[in-house]
Amino acid sequence: MNYGFQFGVVWDNIPELLEGAWLTLQLGCFAFAGGSLIGLIFAAIKTYGTWPLRFLVDCYVIFITNTPALIQIYFLYFGLPEVGIRWSNEACLLIGLTMNAGAYLTLILRAGFLSVRVTEIEASQTLGMSLIQQVRYIIVPHIAKSIYPALANFFIVVLVMGTSVGALIGVDELTGQAINLSTVNYRWLEYFTVVAGMYVVLTFIASIGLALLGRWAFRVKARIF
Amino acid sequence: MPHLEVSDVRAKYGTLEVLKGISFSIKKGEIASLVGPSGSGKSTVLRALMGLTPITGGTVMIGNDRMNYSSAKEVRAARDRMAIVFQQYNLFQNMTVMKNLTLAPLKIKKWDSAEVMSEARRLLGLVGLSDRADAYPDQLSGGQQQRVALARALALKPQILLLDEVTSALDPELVNEVLDAIRKLANEGMTMIIVSHEMAFVREVADKVVFMDEGQIIEAGKPNDIFDNPQTDRARDFFSKILRH
Ligand SMILES: Nc1ncnc2c1ncn2[C@@H]1O[C@H](COP(=O)(O)OP(=O)(O)OP(=O)(O)O)[C@@H](O)[C@H]1O
Ligand SMILES: [Mg+2]
Repeated sequence: MNYGFQFGVVWDNIPELLEGAWLTLQLGCFAFAGGSLIGLIFAAIKTYGTWPLRFLVDCYVIFITNTPALIQIYFLYFGLPEVGIRWSNEACLLIGLTMNAGAYLTLILRAGFLSVRVTEIEASQTLGMSLIQQVRYIIVPHIAKSIYPALANFFIVVLVMGTSVGALIGVDELTGQAINLSTVNYRWLEYFTVVAGMYVVLTFIASIGLALLGRWAFRVKARIF
Repeated sequence: MPHLEVSDVRAKYGTLEVLKGISFSIKKGEIASLVGPSGSGKSTVLRALMGLTPITGGTVMIGNDRMNYSSAKEVRAARDRMAIVFQQYNLFQNMTVMKNLTLAPLKIKKWDSAEVMSEARRLLGLVGLSDRADAYPDQLSGGQQQRVALARALALKPQILLLDEVTSALDPELVNEVLDAIRKLANEGMTMIIVSHEMAFVREVADKVVFMDEGQIIEAGKPNDIFDNPQTDRARDFFSKILRH
């Protein structure tokens, strides 16, 4: 063990790494937001829909949750061009991550739908609310509050684990950026030490952001750690 | 002319017929009380009127309008005219007291905001909770929550108010504050149907008592007549048990 650490080169590349981290944060946020929308609609279908629709949602969820995210993204990036559909690597990553998050969020949000108190729903019905209004004013706030910890955890999963798959199709998010840079000067250990630290900071920032959002929007008493 | 007229109303849960032809009527400003043993169908009558339990036969008239529960729009027409308060206060847990009161008038009826707010404040005063407008339901006692539920039901200006055992989930010392709020409504001339086990209260406020058993009306009449001089064995049996304590 006489490895000479040289953080100097890494220091020079901090701007590139920060760019990667910024892209990671954006990808994580967009995939989570899109996935939440899919999850909300599909969980609503699972709860109120007719059986053919429920069946389609089941197929989607089972298919996605039983295959690796990497395969899904490779399918989009390497598979679809074979039939003439060509998207950029970033688009493939974002679409893949969104669809992947959508399936898991369908499951998480479905649990939220099931935990809404029937009595609150009946009260909202007798006050004249339509189904859409019930979802908007009663169900979504209830879900956001009751399963907030599960949602927040899943966001971190998307942010850290999900986005790093992008490195394998050449997206310059944080992991991709680290791989690019370290193949140039072989300071793997230094780069990945710094990048690991950046992921921790990123997660920390995201957790604080989520906790503040939860407190402000849904009265969730979220703990950051 | 009756304000509300229920004729031969029937309802089922699955294959079990729980209302086997219910008929009664109330005039404007009157208070009718539904009493009877557990499982006799009292809640189902109120739920059927609100369109929560489907009606399988009979008619419901409010004034000159026939209530038809066959489409979402027609169910809403019934819900425009009536409001219900349940045993379990059913407040929206994620909203303040004020939001609970104003959500439906503002977002569903789209009434004028200033008027809605001042009416909400008036109603909170009526139920004695002016100082708790910004509290969340989980910060209130059961009695306070139930009074908020009462105010919320009134915020939509219903013509008829349905109360389903609104005090039976409450600790005894909280019952009176809710009954007081209902007394004030009675004095304001609100038409009400009250399901209650508080027989002393029923005797005091009701203009008419309807005794139900097994999905049917067995007897109906003035409180004193029904309580003190029931004509049927079933009513006699029920009141002798319940009035003793
Ligand atoms: N959701 C339901 N599904 C099936 N049966 C039901 C349902 N709700 C009520 N019932 C049945 O309908 C009948 C009437 O019930 P209802 O709740 O109207 O009685 P109630 O007079 O209000 O009784 P209580 O005084 O206990 O509240 C009962 O036999 C009950 O078991
Ligand atoms: Mg009942």
